[in-house]
Amino acid sequence: MFEQFTKGLSGSQVYLISSMIVFVVFFVVVTVVLIRLKKQHINHMGQLPLEDSTLLNPSKSLQS
Amino acid sequence: MQPEKFYYDNKIVRNFAIATIVWGIVGMLVGLLIAVQLYHPAANMGTQYTTFGRIRPLHTNAVIFAFVGNAIFMGVYYSLQRLLKTRMFSDVLSNIHFWGWQLIIVAAAITLPLGLTTSHEYAELEWPIDIAITLIWVVFGINMFGTIIKRRERHLYVAIWFYIATFVTIAVLHICNSIELPVSMWKSYMVYAGVQDALVQWWYGHNAVAFFLTTPYLGMMYYFLPKMANRPVYSYKLSILHFWALIFIYIWAGPHHLLYTTLPGWAQSLGVAFSVMLIAPSWGGMINGLLTLRGAWDKVRDDVVLKFMVVGLTAYGMATFEGPMLSLKQVNGFAHFTDWIIAHVHVGAMGWNGFLTFAILYWLIPRIYKTELFSKKLASFHFWIGTLGILFYVIPIYWAGFTQSFMLKEFTPEGILKYPNFLETTLRVIPMYIMRSVGGTLYLTGVITMAYNLFRTMKQGSLAANEAAQAMPLEPVVKEAHEHSWHRVLERRPIQFMVLALVVILIGSFVELMPTLTIKSNIPTIASVKPYTPLELQGRDLYIREGCLACHSQTVRPFRSETERYGEYSKAGEFVYDHPFLWGSERKGPDLAREGGMKSNQWHYYHLMDPRSVSQGSIMPNYDWLTSQTLDTSLTAAKINAMRKLGVPYPVGYEKRANADLDKQAKGIADDLAQNNVKVKSNKEIVAIIAYLQRLGVDIKANKTANNN
Repeated sequence: MFEQFTKGLSGSQVYLISSMIVFVVFFVVVTVVLIRLKKQHINHMGQLPLEDSTLLNPSKSLQS
Repeated sequence: MQPEKFYYDNKIVRNFAIATIVWGIVGMLVGLLIAVQLYHPAANMGTQYTTFGRIRPLHTNAVIFAFVGNAIFMGVYYSLQRLLKTRMFSDVLSNIHFWGWQLIIVAAAITLPLGLTTSHEYAELEWPIDIAITLIWVVFGINMFGTIIKRRERHLYVAIWFYIATFVTIAVLHICNSIELPVSMWKSYMVYAGVQDALVQWWYGHNAVAFFLTTPYLGMMYYFLPKMANRPVYSYKLSILHFWALIFIYIWAGPHHLLYTTLPGWAQSLGVAFSVMLIAPSWGGMINGLLTLRGAWDKVRDDVVLKFMVVGLTAYGMATFEGPMLSLKQVNGFAHFTDWIIAHVHVGAMGWNGFLTFAILYWLIPRIYKTELFSKKLASFHFWIGTLGILFYVIPIYWAGFTQSFMLKEFTPEGILKYPNFLETTLRVIPMYIMRSVGGTLYLTGVITMAYNLFRTMKQGSLAANEAAQAMPLEPVVKEAHEHSWHRVLERRPIQFMVLALVVILIGSFVELMPTLTIKSNIPTIASVKPYTPLELQGRDLYIREGCLACHSQTVRPFRSETERYGEYSKAGEFVYDHPFLWGSERKGPDLAREGGMKSNQWHYYHLMDPRSVSQGSIMPNYDWLTSQTLDTSLTAAKINAMRKLGVPYPVGYEKRANADLDKQAKGIADDLAQNNVKVKSNKEIVAIIAYLQRLGVDIKANKTANNN
């Protein structure tokens, strides 16, 4: 009864394995990028929603 | 350098807010109506325009694209301007976007009750409206990217990434799932057939949840929650990880809607594996949201807006825990096609989307009207009645799902089905359906209270249509020689960001879709499966028009409880001429994949005219207009031609003879009915739909007979 499912698997495991590898590589890359981010930049980014008020401090630099 | 003065456009935000409230009430009212129809068939109101099959898509479309859609645009237009410190790119585009979207909703509200539908769930709208959606979506995109380009803040906050991912992915999903061949102004056939069509549809359906109901709301959460709690998001790093992992994984998970169907096994396994992984980024997002409130929980006690946010996030956590569980094959085998799934989606829709929307409305309307909320007490009442409404909705309907599935799978010690009549299981869950509509009424009462409260708030304040703001202009980009972080650079470059997000979602899409769409051996054909006759094809289109698939599936899973009840399990080769596939996603009534030849034409006639005359207690509406309406055969030739173009092997020139064949077959059915004391003209619609029902699953039986001989 379940033959149709098992039959579909043969020769296609490469898809399962390669997609898993793709995901792991992706995840590692994002993690490395995250670790390399500077704390000062992270703090600046986190504050962005809070500083959208209508009048900003003109002396504040926009450069992060 | 001098700060620049500019004005935020609050009017467009207000317009989308009003549309959110109005369409929310409409969509939920329709939801309540269909909930009542499930235990009180007279609530179908005796007209074809208000039957369950036709207005269930109206409910889902109204809630997803009208209520949630307008709420997304409200949130995006408010937060985008402020995060980028600029006005929207173009007021004209903003207005075209707003009015275009409302017109599309009106078009949906007219065409769906008329039965003009592609039958693809959450993509039911016919091809002219699909084109309109594409155009308006592009307008939204130009307006968003235009705003990003003229920004006064160098880096794009995480909320904006979610908006960009939403824009690009919905564009891809909508276009790929709407590839259809028009037959006439309001009729088209899906290019893919059977299992291929099913895969494309559920790749779309699942990711519509991901990229319409989830990513834009996560973006709004990352903007509005810090504003409401007046503190930055708990972990910005986690939000980056959350974003990339979520958009990467979500796109693979679609096949969990097709477990135990004829989809190739490896694709099912892939869907399950990625669905289970999905819990990590989903909970990462939820935890990031809830922990943003660390040290501010005392505020939650007093602030109704934060209460809505906390319950909304909790509902998100529950739904995204349940989703991966439901994708496990064993759980799915039990839950799929039952009300469990309805409960699951309503935790998400009412809890996550609904409550986040209400929170944002309560927070935003007083701010753009420069006043206080009219009544905090009423808002608090809304919170409690809304929460109770969710509980009264989901608990009975979970119970109904469990009950029905247990009953459908139960065997007697002798090994025969304990409840061979599907209707027995339906009648058992009617009390839960009644309870569910009570829950829905409570929830809707809350929304109407909110509408009143916000209306009074608007009345007591005055809209700051153009809110003055001031920010430093962006300095020209100086090459930063020691720019270490690649991501930091990316955050300044929206177009490259969009392309990268696009690549990320396309990886999963290609691996998942391409083999099934391109490799022929994935869909073994069956020699005895033949194209539909012209009458059956017309009957099939009536089946689509009436939305029969809202309650009746057409795929038998390989479980003993199903093969005993319905017959042989479904094979991929049976559906190769099915443009579109009609497997459905819910069984309010029995599966129809093997319906052909099981009952007489006379039974079908009486059953369609008045289901209760042959099935005591049935909850199916009457379809008596099928006997008075004449079948429109003017399109038969065009339909045959279209099908041939899509690969259905009708002989060349057959379109000219098709109507003659159609008449002949119809006359045969009418004669058979006449012999059984049913007088109906052969040109009536009911004859075509009976012809179609009698064809279902017949071919494979013919195959068996041939093999046995």
